Amino acid sequence: MPSTLFRDARDYQIAFLATFLLLGISNRDWSLRPVFMVVVVATCLGVQLAATLIHPLLTTPVTAPLSINVRSPLITALSLCLLLRADHASTFILAGTLAILSKFWLRSADKHFCNPANFGIIAALLLTNDAWVSPGQWGEDGWYVLLFAGTGGLVLQRVGRWDTTAAFLGAYVLLEAGRNLWLGWEWDVLGHRLMSGSLLLFALFMITDPRSIPNARLGRIVWAIAIALLTFILRNHFFLSTAVFWALFALAPLTVLMDSLWVAPRFSWQAIAQRAMRRSGLMPSLTSEPLR
Amino acid sequence: MNLLRRLLSVLLMAGLILGMPASAWAFCGFYVAKADTSLYNQASQVAIARNGNRTVMTMANDFRGDVKDFAIVVPVPVVLRPEQVNVGKPEILAHLDAFSAPRLVEYFDENPCESRRIFSNELAMPAPTAARDEADRRRGGALGVTVEARFSVGEYDIEILSARESDGLETWLRQNGYRIPPGASPLLQPYIRQGLKFFVAKVNLQEFSRSGSQFLRPLMMAYESPRFMLPIRLGMINARTEQDLIVYLLTPRGRVELTNYRAVNIPSDAEIPVFVKNEFPDFYRSLFQTAYQRENKKVAFLEYAWDMGNCDPCAAEPLTPEELRQAGVFWLTPNEPNRVFITRLHVRYARNTFPEDLMFQETSNQQLFQGRYILRHPYTGEMNCPAGRQYQQALSQRLEREAQTLANLTGWSLQDIRRKISFPKPGTTPSMPWWRTLWPDRH
Repeated sequence: MPSTLFRDARDYQIAFLATFLLLGISNRDWSLRPVFMVVVVATCLGVQLAATLIHPLLTTPVTAPLSINVRSPLITALSLCLLLRADHASTFILAGTLAILSKFWLRSADKHFCNPANFGIIAALLLTNDAWVSPGQWGEDGWYVLLFAGTGGLVLQRVGRWDTTAAFLGAYVLLEAGRNLWLGWEWDVLGHRLMSGSLLLFALFMITDPRSIPNARLGRIVWAIAIALLTFILRNHFFLSTAVFWALFALAPLTVLMDSLWVAPRFSWQAIAQRAMRRSGLMPSLTSEPLR
Repeated sequence: MNLLRRLLSVLLMAGLILGMPASAWAFCGFYVAKADTSLYNQASQVAIARNGNRTVMTMANDFRGDVKDFAIVVPVPVVLRPEQVNVGKPEILAHLDAFSAPRLVEYFDENPCESRRIFSNELAMPAPTAARDEADRRRGGALGVTVEARFSVGEYDIEILSARESDGLETWLRQNGYRIPPGASPLLQPYIRQGLKFFVAKVNLQEFSRSGSQFLRPLMMAYESPRFMLPIRLGMINARTEQDLIVYLLTPRGRVELTNYRAVNIPSDAEIPVFVKNEFPDFYRSLFQTAYQRENKKVAFLEYAWDMGNCDPCAAEPLTPEELRQAGVFWLTPNEPNRVFITRLHVRYARNTFPEDLMFQETSNQQLFQGRYILRHPYTGEMNCPAGRQYQQALSQRLEREAQTLANLTGWSLQDIRRKISFPKPGTTPSMPWWRTLWPDRH
């Protein structure tokens, strides 16, 4: 339906992530096999479907009507394709399965607190021998930075989570700049460290997942700064090239604490979409927002 | 295209029927030439063998000046004891170079009129040319400096220093006879503050003359550290031009990736005109330079990624377990399956394009890759059949395609390339009478 397509901010996100994936494969010499992409997408959609059917049976009482979510597993699958690399299809199946299941099983107050793709990546890194992440895969070309910033900004403006990106990037840039100054490197060394496509993709598209991050703005800002700090420590003192993913994974449960400290309404994609439709006159009135 | 495919399939089938050919046969062609590091004027070679946090680094030495002027300063992550440093054999790095160098292979088209017969090939595999080992030259200079260890290994006098201030280190180095270039101090500071130590080495002239060797041998160091990196910034102090660095990374699981730069596969598997055989070094130099410029000089190039147990085609025989051990591979155990994967990265760096040191990570990526260029020699005998005429027509198109590929890869002029290609002369096809080749000036 043309009227509803792209009302949901996730449609933009799916379109952008798919574009990045195409760009990466066609333009960046990625070693991602097409068959693995198919495997990841099929796994994520399949597990989402199965879990949607089974989960209500295990959790009583059944409150919400059953609806199959396609957008969320697709975003997870695309994120895994963009970030995760492995030698075997089984690793992608494991990552996709655990990523989707984390949404159903790792919940607190009816909200999942792990970013599914990030959970899948860490699970693959921990549980298999053949998974890796390639932080250098985007290089440092300026136009990628502009592309990511532009598209990411568009999504963030719709979901209203730019504060998280700004807090994360702001804190991280300050920490790295302080280190650069202390070490005495020239400023282009800092520029090179920060112009990493992978870091920007993470800051704009991963830690801004509105469903799994703290609800209140203050909570999000504190949370994002904590992730920046941990990333900085892991990267510079433990020499972990995948520092951002470990930091997000380790601090994801902090969301629960943040939500109890600073209370705010939970994020709902439907509410955002309805607001957009109302603005464009497609929905005349609002009775209630489905804040499930 | 169809004809080519048929030729190829016939070749493959014949290969199967005849059984495994002699050792000069490689499965997909003859190995005829390679582009090793002797191509470049200023090339350093470093081999890093790493498993977990354990690292053995070998730095080749191509210092050609007066050995009394030779000195290197290398930041190292830990204090090295005498037994952690050794001198290696230059032949080992030369062998690694030859084994992993970009290569040229050639096929010979068969007579299209006798497509069931396979023509044997008389080309012998030339002996690999000796690759020269190249060196990383770094100079540095110190006060407030602690000499953590001082020892001699082979022809080298080595000191491991830790320093508090870069100015002090610079002064110390100068006072101790290291002729370091001006402006070293600001570059030494980041390493001091990161807690790195400095490995400094000079040549002990008595030992050197006693060894009777003409060249300095590679320096090897074994250490344990979570840092998987190669410092390149110190090497840029006195070099304004671009420098070539070839890194051989030997690991048990799979490819090594750069984490802070993008790595690009060097263009490979291209069919190029046969005259390139005589100018392969020029061809590869131009190809590399063209690829380097296309990527805005900001990327590293992957030239080889392969399991060290085999090669196809082989530019040199794989290293024996003993040679691997001498290259720093410490995890080999007799009578057990041992995996060694080699990644060859070629980095052409300058101060403005590579501001940071190289950081690596091991991955389990076992996808094989090699820089490989293919020559297909046309069939030149007499062809008196319809298939022969078809072959000649297809051949002209193929040669033109090869010319364009070569121009695209190297940036050479297409006109010049075409001039060097022998496009099919009119032979026995009906439209081209046979006497034209006899008296070409008569028409």
